[in-house]
Order: sequence, then structure tokens, then C-alpha cells
Amino acid sequence: MILIERKISLPAYKIVYALCFVVILSLIRSISYSYKIGVVMEAPMALLAIVFCGDTYTQEITSKRFEIHRLYSLKRRLCSIGIRMVLQEIVLFILSGIGYGMFYYFQTPYPLYETNQGTESELQMFLLFLVAMIVTLWFWGILSNVLSCLFRNMWIGMGGSIALWLVTNSNLGETLFGNYNLFSYAFRNITDNQDFRWMYGKVLCLFFCILLISLMPKIIKKRG
Amino acid sequence: MSIKINNLTVTFKNKVTAINHAYLEIPNGVFGLMGENGAGKTTLMRVLTTVLTATTGTVSMDGILYCEENYPKIQRQIGYLPQEIDLYPELTVQECLEYMGILSGVSKKECKKRIQYYLEKTSLIEHQKKKMKQLSGGMKRRVGLIQALLNEPKVLIVDEATTGLDPEERIRIRNLLVDVSKNRAVLFSTHVVEDLVATCNQLAIMKKGEFLYTGTMSELIKQVKGYVWLCKVKDENSAREIEKRYHISSKQFVNDGLQIKVISTIRPEIKCQPCEASLEDAYIYLCNVKGK
Repeated sequence: MILIERKISLPAYKIVYALCFVVILSLIRSISYSYKIGVVMEAPMALLAIVFCGDTYTQEITSKRFEIHRLYSLKRRLCSIGIRMVLQEIVLFILSGIGYGMFYYFQTPYPLYETNQGTESELQMFLLFLVAMIVTLWFWGILSNVLSCLFRNMWIGMGGSIALWLVTNSNLGETLFGNYNLFSYAFRNITDNQDFRWMYGKVLCLFFCILLISLMPKIIKKRG
Repeated sequence: MSIKINNLTVTFKNKVTAINHAYLEIPNGVFGLMGENGAGKTTLMRVLTTVLTATTGTVSMDGILYCEENYPKIQRQIGYLPQEIDLYPELTVQECLEYMGILSGVSKKECKKRIQYYLEKTSLIEHQKKKMKQLSGGMKRRVGLIQALLNEPKVLIVDEATTGLDPEERIRIRNLLVDVSKNRAVLFSTHVVEDLVATCNQLAIMKKGEFLYTGTMSELIKQVKGYVWLCKVKDENSAREIEKRYHISSKQFVNDGLQIKVISTIRPEIKCQPCEASLEDAYIYLCNVKGK
């Protein structure tokens, strides 16, 4: 079942464009210091998650398979969507890790602690990046999927998510929401490793994740 | 197993009424559903498969009323092959059927057994390793039919399964429907009259959301008996003149002019003779002549 879901939700073209996106990002986005890697990667990876997960279920609608899916039990349908989401998120997470490495490879950035500005070690920064990415990828992936299901249209789902992405990934978003911004990791204070207030934003993301997941059964039942 | 439709009306949000106060009973066996485009056939099938809900009226399956709390019970008894469906192009036939079978609630072991049985029955066994996107249109429909049968439904609903297929594939699908209609109701919607003649025990004809006829094929043909006339005219212009006054069900060039079949309740004012009626003639009569 998992193997089949993988074939459905992760066709070759999706992997290829996602990989190309990460490679191109690591080539064109110039950075000087290693702490910048996570900062410049978070928002683009969120954008990739929006596009990547938008068709998780809506592919059933565009192919008219939803008429058959409606005959299946809600539990099995949700289970199928859940497996697809997990598989896609795993791929996105791996790509984030690969992307981080590529930035090192292509841009050879200076470690921040060598300049005596930062207090986080390279490993610490990488681990924090991974933690932040798990939450970021889940939130934006689920948001895109839920909105797509709600409007029965992948483009509206992606568009709505991108609108929120634009607001939160801006100075306006940073000023408005501060540490509660959905991209709080990218806007965090890098020079103080004791300042974990950026985690508020990620906890908020987690909260929205749970909320969106809990809405999913109702949306699939009514709109699926 | 039977489906009863009682005073069913389906009105969409844009105020279009797709089905208007319809009554119908679908018994076991192949039940044909015929009608022009937009007659309401697909809407009816969507109501029966619980995709759409009735605006007014009731639908019941073996006494179980179509309503939110009964949907899971009803959905388990239905197999459905929609009109246009793109089954997972990247999966092989075997994978696609296994996946859909498991989703429909069949155990993996039982699912594999049933897939093998139906693949053999539909002559697809040698194609089971092929990807769905590599199959011809007819093969895809056969796979679609198998997925609809995997949960051993009591009601099979097939929407225009033979449209666009070559004669051989059409015959194969038709025969399959008859084979699986034992002990279950098969609702078969089509535009192709020959398909209904070859498969159905009973049929219903829809027009603008209403049933113009429900009953057996022979009774329908009986209705048009004496109203079908074979005429011979010398050229296309004369045929066009007749076409303005009467409904014509067929036109054919013969040695000395054009032979046309006219449907009319009174003898046409041209040289003609009564002839045998076909289901197509009956359909034209019912939809265009009767009641005018």
C-alpha cells in the first residue's frame, strides 16, 4: 500500500523539479556566512511544500476518480491521504538536508563562530534548521492540501497558501507578528543562542497543523 | 436487490433542474438508461452513487433509505464506473486494482484472488504488468469495470462504458456486463442503441430530467408499431422536404434514389409502406413524435 501511494504521490517529475529547485536555489542565492543557509532556505522550501502537496488529494478530483473514492470509507480515504502527506513531507525534508549541504558545497560560507558574532556551532545550527524545517514543511504542505480540498481546486489551494506566504515572509509580517510569525526561524536573533523566542512561531505552526488535520475529515466528507 | 426512486428531483445551485419528479424501479439484471446529452442520466447515477443528494423525493436500496447515516451501508453495496475516468496512469494494472480493492474494504488476500479471477474473465491477464497509461481505451474500461466489481457489489452502475470504443471492445464490455448481472442490478447508461438491445432486460428513456418510458424493450417497440414508414425519394432535395414535415430515423442511398425511414403517427403524404420498427425508431418516436 505504501509503495503504491509512493507511486501515486511521488511521480518522477515531482522529485526532479523539487531537486532542481533546491539545486538552483543553492546556486543562485548567494550567502557569506553559514548561519544564513537556514535563513535563506526556510521560505523557499515552504513555497516548494505548497506546490508539492497541493495535488495530494485534488488529483483524484481532476481525474474524476473522486466519484469512486466517495464509495470508500472515510477512514480509508483519510489514511490514504495521510500516507501520501507523510511520504511527500519525508522527501521534502530530505531535500532540505541535501539543500543545506549544497549551500556548503557551492558557496563555501564562513562559519559564524569564527567571526565571533554567533554563538551556535555549525552542528547546532544544522539541527535547529532541521527541527524548524519539519514544522515549516508540515504546516505549509498541510495548508496547501487542505485549502485545495476545501475549494476542490489545486490552484486555489496553492494560491491561497502563497498569499499567506507572501504576507508572513515579509517585513510587514515580521513587524506584525514578531516571534509569532510563521517564519520566525528565518527572522530569529542569530547572535544569541539562548534566545528561543522564535520557537513561539513554530509552536503556532504546529497548533495550526493540528487544527488543519482535525478539519480534514469534515472537508473530505463534504467536499471530497 | 432493487433500487426504488420515488418522486426524485435534483436541482442545482444555479436553479437548473436535472431530474424532475422521477419515479423508477431498478430490478436485478441489466437495466438500460438512454437519453440525449443533458437528459439527466449522469445526475441520476451520481445520486445513486451518493455523490449528489436529492433535492426532494427519496431513493432506497433494498428498503434502505438514501440518507447521511445510511450512506456507508449503501456505499458498500455499490460498484461504479464513471463516464470519464483516468485510473492511476503510473500504476500497473495489478497495482491499480489492488489499491482500489483494498480501499474498497476487501482484504489483501481476497483482493488478489478476485483480481486474478476478473483479469482472466476480461482477458487482461497478460496485461497485468503493464502500466495503466500503456493500455488502450477499451482495456482501461475493462480495468475500470474490474475495480467496480472487486467489492462484489449488489448494484453495479456503469456510465457510458462503451462510448468511443471499437465494435470488438464494445461487444466484450457488453458481454461482461451481462455475465456479471446475475444476482445483481446493473444500471447501464449509453447512447448506443445496439448496446441496449444486446444487453438489457428493461430500460428507461430520459429527456430533460423526466422518464419518458420505463419497461421492456419489446413493449417499447410495440408502441411505435404502425408508425414507421419506408419511403423512397429520388434525390436529396426531396428527402430534405420530407425531413421538414416528419422525423426521419434513417437515410440510405439505394440504386434508384434515397431510401428513408419516416416516423409518423399518420401515413406520410408520399409513396411509402409500413415497415418493422427498431429500438432506434421507438426512441425517436418517444422523444420527438409522441405527444406532439
